[in-house]
Amino acid sequence: MGSNIKIRFRILLYLLIIVLIVIALRLYFLQVMSGNLYAELATQNITREKTIPASRGDIYDRNGKLLVKSVPVKAVAVQPYVVIDNEEVMEILSDRLDIPYSQLKEKLKKANVSYIERVIIKQNIDKAEMTYIEENSNKLPGVEVIDIYLRQYNYGVLASHVLGHIGEIDETRLKSEEYKNNYEGGDLIGWGGVEEAYESILRGRKGKVIYEVDPLGRPVSVLDKTEPLKGNDLYLTIDIDLQRAVEEILYQSILEVRQKKISNTNEYYNVPGGAVVVLSADNGQILAMASYPTYSQELFTGGISKKDMDFLKDPENHQPQINRAVNPYPPGSTIKIVPAYAGLAEGIITESSRISCAGIWLGLGRDYPKKCWQRYGHGSLSLVGAIKNSCDIYFYNVGLGLYNKNNNIDELLQKYLRIFGFGSLTGSGLPEEYSGRVPDKEWKEDYFKGQKGYTVWFPGDTVNMAIGQGDLLVTPLQMAQAFSIIANRGIKYTPHLCKEIIDSEGAVLTDESVAGFEDLNLNENFIGTIEKGLIEVLAPGGTGYSVFSDFPLSSIPIAAKTGTAEFLGKQDYGWFASYAPAGNPEYVVVAMLEEGGSGGSNVGPLVKNIYKYLFDIK
Amino acid sequence: MRGKNLDTLNDYSKDKKILRFDFLLFFLVIAISSFGLLIIYSATRETMPGGVSDPAYYLKRQAIYLAVGVFLCIAIQFVNYRIIKRYWWLFFATGIILLLSVLIFGFEVNGCKSWIDLKFTTIQPSEFSKIFMVISLAAVMSKWRSEKVCQVTFKKVAISLAIALSFMAFVLLEPDYGTVLIYFCVYIGMLFLSGASFLYIFLILGMAAGGVIFALNSGLIKQYQLDRILVFLKPDAQPTEGSGYSLYQSKLAIGSGGLTGKGLFLGKQTNLNYVPEHHTDFIFSVIGEELGFLGAIIVIIILGVIVWRCFYIALNSSDNFAMLLSSGIGLIILTQMTINIGMTIGIMPIIGIPLPFLSSGGSSLISILIGIGLVENVSVWREVRKEHEIAYQDLR
Repeated sequence: MGSNIKIRFRILLYLLIIVLIVIALRLYFLQVMSGNLYAELATQNITREKTIPASRGDIYDRNGKLLVKSVPVKAVAVQPYVVIDNEEVMEILSDRLDIPYSQLKEKLKKANVSYIERVIIKQNIDKAEMTYIEENSNKLPGVEVIDIYLRQYNYGVLASHVLGHIGEIDETRLKSEEYKNNYEGGDLIGWGGVEEAYESILRGRKGKVIYEVDPLGRPVSVLDKTEPLKGNDLYLTIDIDLQRAVEEILYQSILEVRQKKISNTNEYYNVPGGAVVVLSADNGQILAMASYPTYSQELFTGGISKKDMDFLKDPENHQPQINRAVNPYPPGSTIKIVPAYAGLAEGIITESSRISCAGIWLGLGRDYPKKCWQRYGHGSLSLVGAIKNSCDIYFYNVGLGLYNKNNNIDELLQKYLRIFGFGSLTGSGLPEEYSGRVPDKEWKEDYFKGQKGYTVWFPGDTVNMAIGQGDLLVTPLQMAQAFSIIANRGIKYTPHLCKEIIDSEGAVLTDESVAGFEDLNLNENFIGTIEKGLIEVLAPGGTGYSVFSDFPLSSIPIAAKTGTAEFLGKQDYGWFASYAPAGNPEYVVVAMLEEGGSGGSNVGPLVKNIYKYLFDIK
Repeated sequence: MRGKNLDTLNDYSKDKKILRFDFLLFFLVIAISSFGLLIIYSATRETMPGGVSDPAYYLKRQAIYLAVGVFLCIAIQFVNYRIIKRYWWLFFATGIILLLSVLIFGFEVNGCKSWIDLKFTTIQPSEFSKIFMVISLAAVMSKWRSEKVCQVTFKKVAISLAIALSFMAFVLLEPDYGTVLIYFCVYIGMLFLSGASFLYIFLILGMAAGGVIFALNSGLIKQYQLDRILVFLKPDAQPTEGSGYSLYQSKLAIGSGGLTGKGLFLGKQTNLNYVPEHHTDFIFSVIGEELGFLGAIIVIIILGVIVWRCFYIALNSSDNFAMLLSSGIGLIILTQMTINIGMTIGIMPIIGIPLPFLSSGGSSLISILIGIGLVENVSVWREVRKEHEIAYQDLR
């Protein structure tokens, strides 16, 4: 072999060695230097993770009657960013699932803009729809059938405001601190009522399955599976039979009041809505809570339609979703129990001090005369008589006295209103609950900021507040709590809806959200005097006498206060707040009718019928 | 004189022929091919490509091919390669006829008409023709009867080019660009080793480049086809289909193997069918995933030693034909392993060619074992005397 050839062989040999070295270096880079990265990528490549929804806890009434039950159904969920630009998939979905194309597009667009990973486009699909989607999964990228749990309402619309409903989590919540760690797009959460208030109790724990897929995304084996844990069952303080009775009575009463004309006019009462709260007097349990008009949670099952949503939002329909029992209203004379106590406690009045009512009061000066609702006057009244007759002038005096004491630096009336629970949430936990409003100097300055002359707190403001007018707003639930404080001689119970929580293994859990009770250290003699007045309200001559004349008050004495609140531009709001039997209280019943007129004659019958039910009187 | 020479040759061969058989080469080839059986089994037992129902189907089939190949490899040793040289045109004709028949009787796989169905098995003639081309090229490039000493003249280059082009033309018609590339590399390599002037080599390389540019411009090769082949130039793309997908999945498989691999039979990327063609063209990704860096290095070292052994035997052969024949086989293995392994690790274009000894498939394995048989033949029938000392007529 010539030397030339040998050199050429040597060159080829070097080439071979270079090839081997390059391959080895590349392998070293891929496998040793980047091995961990590729291992991770490979795992991501092959494994998928999927959450398994947990069955939501069931909701029972206080007697163990099943109110709301979880039922498993199938739903179609999509990844908006995958599907939205795929016309073909969108059309198949719209066509097969019978969703209007524009509606689907809009929903996905909204979710896509807010980077939601997954949205449910149809709940409770039927077998044919499920089969179609599962069999055509390769034609439908980003679309999957998932298990979800919907709610079944065994008692129809009863207690719908208390219960609330469930619905798909929205963007705001998904990004909030409270929700973001435990939820993902498409999850169903409680909206309103105890469903929302006890979300963390009811929701259970999601399961998780990690599985391997083939290149077409079909699962081939399960690597790890955590079973979901059913949510805890919730036993409410509500008595569903009482709730039914109360709702029926409320509805009937509203219909009756709507038949009445406002005195001296041709105008009928509007009564767009009303609310009733029944508390167990000695522990704050809410036995019934009704709000009219009501709505059906079924509308939300499977996703609410636009038509239904429009109906619920239309002002013509008086916003049935509002829970009026925890909505703020001017309280009228029912509030007088607070100035009565404040007056006694601050020495403005005594149990025996008498004030004369001539129908007109000039306590604020000649230029500002104020009238009593009884324009001929009540004559000379003690506190008991003032409560019985709901004399405004008596309480004007109390209000002015409270204002004048120490030049209103302490804002005494507001202080006592707050002691009785007004101006703050009761602690029921209901997400819809309002804290109402106890107006004071600071509030007024802030509220009328920039409007000269309106920011100053006048003595008239305190005087007005003493009869439940002005800017004071309270909820029926707050009023019930205040009456329970009187009934319990100064013990303040937190009104609550949860009687018991039972976990999936049957163990009883305590509800830490209920604060229990607080002793307000009130003067029992003062409360005794006020109660005397409240009992007199239903006695002959009292503001509620005529309505309760056929009620066995001798065996079941009722302490009550009527209220008729003026509301600018609307008809009067009627109130009736009470507890019974006085002295040994079992129930607190508060009712309110929006634009329902006189608390005594129009709301009184409603409460009487509830007591008849409660004490089983035919 | 003539008789004596023959006697001497025969005596010599009687004593030592068996010893001149290169046992290292043979052992390595058997070892890597057997190892291939194991890897093919690992690659197919779960996925069972082609819808077969027996997990060991590909293992059994490959074992039969290996047995046939080894038999042919040994059988060849009973024929002196000089006979093969003399009848080179027979092999040339057979190769061309094979390639022609595939164009007539062949069926298409993945857009390539490169298979013939013989009912009991299918064959890929371009694999066998590769060996026939090497034989033909070695024959025309080596010493001609009229020559005193071997000289690679213009005439030889022209004839060899014509031979190579006629093989390549038929494969181009299939069209199997990957195999054409191998043919071309082998041809250039042999021309280089034959001692041809660099002028000719550069001329041919230039012509090839011109041909490719012409094909691109005239639309014979579409842009997307080129993109597909050159996808390796875009690192870490994560395409969902096509050759980019194959490359990505192959890199994931090999990379995730790490230093020591996931263990034989335990490659997830492979067993879940993520790497396409993992028992044929992408068999190296199975090795990389299951046996890791260490296993892959051992495999490429064994392949390297086999190539080196072919060159070594070529260098120590007694004539030009033997030298070119043996190095031609070495070049086939070298180019195929470089392009195939390079493809799976993203440093070479994505071209569907098998990895010698390891990829599943009969034509590839049997033809390369025949090639090894020829290399061994060169070693066995080596002559102690130099070429010019042996009268050509000795073999008459």
